[in-house]
This record gives sequence, structure tokens and C-alpha cells, in this order.
Amino acid sequence: MVTIKRNPTNTAFRAIADPTRRSILSLLRGRPHTVGEIAANFRTSRPAISKHLRLLRSAGLVVTRKDGAARICSLNAKPLRAVSVWLREYEEFWSHSLRGLKNYIEAEGQKEKN
Amino acid sequence: MNPTSASDTIIQEIAIKAPAQRIFDALTNPGQRTKWWGAEGRFQTTHMESDLRPGGKWMMSGNGVGGKPFTVSGEYRQIEPPRLLVFTWLPTWQEDAIESLVRFDLEEKNGVTTVRLTHSGLTDSSRTSHKGWPQVLTWLQGYVEWPATL
Repeated sequence: MVTIKRNPTNTAFRAIADPTRRSILSLLRGRPHTVGEIAANFRTSRPAISKHLRLLRSAGLVVTRKDGAARICSLNAKPLRAVSVWLREYEEFWSHSLRGLKNYIEAEGQKEKN
Repeated sequence: MNPTSASDTIIQEIAIKAPAQRIFDALTNPGQRTKWWGAEGRFQTTHMESDLRPGGKWMMSGNGVGGKPFTVSGEYRQIEPPRLLVFTWLPTWQEDAIESLVRFDLEEKNGVTTVRLTHSGLTDSSRTSHKGWPQVLTWLQGYVEWPATL
């Protein structure tokens, strides 16, 4: 069954739709990084990385805290649960639809025999 | 029913005691599809249009959860009766919905047809960003299944 869901699924989807942002998440999966450390892993300019980080923060996937002058980013995977739930709902939807198809066709077959 | 879904692809199989052609017709004929797709309050399909040719459009509409109207539309990509049917899938219930791909493989053996559904590209928001998805979703799943590691 498919239910209508807006946030936070869509912000999570949008956040992880971009390959650079996915790489950032993979990086943070290992351990927290400072913004500088993250930027050092990419050829992209630092302002561009900051922009990606802002989007990831607004989606709740990255949390930051200040440590002196550095900002340390870490991963919060919780919003991704929505993505997983959404996929599971689609699975249910299809299993329900296929069962409907089977019941319909086999019942029709019986009718023809009778 | 044998769900073996991985990453962003859903694969499901069901065995139906009927010839493949019979099932192919139930999938593509508007008068038949509205008879089996969904039930009241659970994605009940009341209307379908189908221009059955490669590139031809299809759409279906009805009442989803809580009676909320829904529409799904798409385009036929591959039609090889009675073995193969491939069409695109664009739902209205998801904001920023993306087009995904639905494939039905029908394999008939001794009067029983195995229907295999493959729904792919579900979270692929652009064709170019598809690379890397399987890995990402695999570790996402890891996080979801073991919340203690968060």
C-alpha cells in the first residue's frame, strides 16, 4: 500500500539525490569530520561543499557542533528511515496488487470451467 | 510470493494457474485491470486508459488510502505478448515524483505462469545520479536496521 507522505521523506530524498552529498554522508559514516577535512576530500570548491552541508543539515542528516574555531560535522541517519519505510510501503503495495491479480484470474478460470 | 528486494529495486514473484496470455490481457486491458487492482480503501483503481504500443501512454486513477484520489501514468516501453511488458510509472501522490520503471516477466510452464514484477529506479531522482545508489542504499539499510550504531 502506498500512503501519501510529504516531509521528511522528500527532503531526505532530495538530500541524497546528489552524488557529492552521498559521498559526504559516506565520509561521515566513518567518523565525524571538520568542514575543512570534508572539503579536502573533494575537488569541488569549499563554498560549494558548504552549500551541500547546509542542505544536508536542513534535511537533518548532518549535525554540526563548534569545537574552538572548527565546526565538526557528524552523521544523523535517522531521517533515512523515512526512505526505507517508503520503499517498504511500495513492496506491500505490489504484493497486494499481485495477489489481487492472482485471485481475479484464478476465479475467472473457475467460472469458465463451471 | 517471494519478495527479494534490494537497494532501490523491488522484485516480487507470484505463480498463477492460468496461461500467460490471460495474465497479459488482465494487465493491459483497461476493463480488466480495474477489476483486480486494489480494493476499497486500498488503492482501488476505478479507471484506466491504455494505448498499447511502444511509446503509447497509459494511466490509471482511483481512490487511495482514506479515499484520497490518485493517478499514475506512464508510457509503454516494451510490449512482447505474452512474455514481457515494460512501462514507465509516474505517481501523483509523491511530491517531486520521479519516473520509475515497471517490468512484468511472464513465464508459463505446465499451465502455471510465474509473474515476476520488477520496479526499478524508485529513488533515482535523475538519470545521471544513478551510479552509486546500490551501495548507498545498502548502508542506509544497515543504519535503519541497527539503530544502536547511530
